[in-house]
Amino acid sequence: MKATGWVLESRLPMSSVAERMFSELPAWQQMLDRNRELFCDMAPGSRIGLMRRNGADAGKRAAALFATEADSPAATLLTWECGEDGMRAGCASCRHPRELRLDLLLVADDEALEAISRHLGGDPLTVMKGLIRRGNVLFYVMRTKRELQDAGYEDFLDSLGLAFLGACR
Amino acid sequence: MTRPGEAKLPHLFKPARFGGFTTPNSIKYGACCVSNYNTRDGFITPRELARMRVIAGTGCGLITNQGAYPDPLGEGKAYFRQIALFDDKFLPQFETIARYIHDAGAVAVQQILHAGRYGGIDIGYCVQPSEVPQTLPHFRPPREMTRDHIQDCIRQHADAARRAVKAGFDATEVTSFMGYLLASFNSRFTNQRSDEYGGSIENRGRFMRELIDAIKQATPENPLAIRLNGAELMDRWGGNTEDECFELMQQAVDSGVDMISVTVGWQEAPESSIGRDIAPGHWNHLAARAKRMFPDTPVAFGNRLPDPVMANDCIARGEFDYWEVCRPLLADPELVHKAAEDRLPEVRRCIGSLNCLSRLFRDLPYTCTMNPALGHEVEPEYQIRPAAVKKRIMVIGAGPAGMEFALTATRRGHAVTVFEKSEAIGGSLRAYAARDLARPEDLASVVAHYEVMAKKLGVEVRLDTEANAKLMRSLLHQFDVCVVASGARIDMDVYRAIEGHERLVSAQDVASGRVVPGARVVVIGAGKIGLTLAESIRKGGAEVTVVEAEKRIAGDVMPSFKWRHNSWVEELGIRALTSSRVVRITAEGVIVLNGKGAELQVAADTVIAATPRKSNQELFQEFEWTIDELHGCGDALVPRGLDAAIHEGYRLGVRI
Repeated sequence: MKATGWVLESRLPMSSVAERMFSELPAWQQMLDRNRELFCDMAPGSRIGLMRRNGADAGKRAAALFATEADSPAATLLTWECGEDGMRAGCASCRHPRELRLDLLLVADDEALEAISRHLGGDPLTVMKGLIRRGNVLFYVMRTKRELQDAGYEDFLDSLGLAFLGACR
Repeated sequence: MTRPGEAKLPHLFKPARFGGFTTPNSIKYGACCVSNYNTRDGFITPRELARMRVIAGTGCGLITNQGAYPDPLGEGKAYFRQIALFDDKFLPQFETIARYIHDAGAVAVQQILHAGRYGGIDIGYCVQPSEVPQTLPHFRPPREMTRDHIQDCIRQHADAARRAVKAGFDATEVTSFMGYLLASFNSRFTNQRSDEYGGSIENRGRFMRELIDAIKQATPENPLAIRLNGAELMDRWGGNTEDECFELMQQAVDSGVDMISVTVGWQEAPESSIGRDIAPGHWNHLAARAKRMFPDTPVAFGNRLPDPVMANDCIARGEFDYWEVCRPLLADPELVHKAAEDRLPEVRRCIGSLNCLSRLFRDLPYTCTMNPALGHEVEPEYQIRPAAVKKRIMVIGAGPAGMEFALTATRRGHAVTVFEKSEAIGGSLRAYAARDLARPEDLASVVAHYEVMAKKLGVEVRLDTEANAKLMRSLLHQFDVCVVASGARIDMDVYRAIEGHERLVSAQDVASGRVVPGARVVVIGAGKIGLTLAESIRKGGAEVTVVEAEKRIAGDVMPSFKWRHNSWVEELGIRALTSSRVVRITAEGVIVLNGKGAELQVAADTVIAATPRKSNQELFQEFEWTIDELHGCGDALVPRGLDAAIHEGYRLGVRI
């Protein structure tokens, strides 16, 4: 079944917030550098994506993202990729997140992007943790627990307050 | 003849109807957890059969066997050793279980569990209505089901139901609890299809209705129960509202199900549903709503409802028809009998520790903090049998390890005397339980159980009696065995090198009330002891900072509960300095050195040492040449926690 008819954000006028997010790469890089200890165990090639969410329907967004039709419009994401010399901030376009081999995908609404942007020079990860808890930032996991553990994700996930082990609580 | 407890809980013990069956009472044993006791390829083992024999004997009128996956590929298999029902080769052991249940006078239900989004544990992918990835890292990447795949899946369910009936089960059950396949079709979050199986709630419920119809056609004489969420707790992800949940229940009832079992929550829900931070009865309103909507359909309910008295009252008020209980019966398989015999104070309560689930999600067989014999029913070594040689045993310490040992050994015929230096049974647990932010009553119930049972079994407990060499000399040759269960203390010696260490107070002294903290508190150590104190003190209004040497807090907390402490620390505004250590203590506070080598001053009027813990092992050396047998258990060997204390006390008690 194909997810057709939903408009991905690249077809919408990008909000000023989203525009700002993608243009603030130096600030994102500085943030990653300040928090390098969170990523020090991560394997090279580990990759996290952050994109803008349009509308309230998280599931619809996710399904649209992961639809496999060849003519899906491209989506633009902010990426954090682990290289030999640490995490690098960048932008990427893709028709399907799998093209980017993401390990985690964070999907943030405009309120979240505003908040993160305001704190980019300070501690946006703590802000992001609160936004995840409130549902302004949704996240999707593309790797198994073992793969994430082997790739050194525990500290980062923990910093965002994400339960590493699922359980009916 | 009516037993005294049955007269007090008449609604719980009245017969009830399920399909064409009359059950002897209104209690349903729920298939809450897959045990992981079975083989990797889905066969039921002797270990499982031994456990099920105990479950069959619990006295429940309706007993549900744990969920079996229905497909040969294993797409529905969520758990490492989940049982299978996709082929007749599995049937002999199912027949045995059905027979156990019937021999006990109960009605047998087999749950068919296709885990959907959480399945495919052996095959590296899972199947869902749409490719919506999970939000926890525990699971496999999703694949969307085609229409043909959906039809095959429904057929597999129907075949599994037919097999269950062939094996002797009276009824079957399908479940959407926790976000399994049925739930993922029903939910707005995970079902993004635009064919007849997705979109409107009518369409999203189509898979469920077709499933019900197929099973009903395959087994027309046998009732079908369905577990459906009254609340998904997935609002943040765009999950179903409560109204939508009940609309789906209506669809199920209209399709002819014979029972609605109301459940709560998904695996991925960011909120607690059954942990001990949820008050018992919190979700009862969901069952009550279902019962109002479906007066003619039996409703079963039991999420976070461990108390038979509450269950009886709910049934009396017409809020549901069956008390669906699982974990409380894992903790105490005698619960229903004790309720019937008016012996509720003797019940070992489920304390909601979720040790069972923590182990399940590490692919381990589940165990229970409160029931050391769970999972070991097949092993004679775990059974309480008369001792070949009756001994006189002294136990040092009336904490959980010592008391568990004392009760177990007494049951085997030994003469046991417990020596406790404080004024009460309970050890460290008594003090820390009172500080627990979740539910102090749950942890306190452990102590209460030991008090009740010590009295009932005639265990002599000498309080305010410190065991030392002088005492031992006075008791020479009066005992054959000494069990050191003296627990552990905070090791204050490790702080001697720190300037100002004399200002430190021990976590135990604060927990017990011997020391009252001030308005600005630093707690050294953010393990379970430090966090319990920090949260409690913060709630009392003080400013609190925890200093932890490791990168993360809650290192020794049960996996299923780490997230809770993390969120409490944040919600309460407790400052957490990780990768840090205290290097100096002054009248004004502490100097902390962090992982980057920077010093930080934290103002404090009270500095509490909550780590490290050191076993109180001195008595091993003191008593070695004074008694025939010398043993140890619990924290006196290695500081761990309640689970190890109770289990070790029991294991020693059945062995001596």
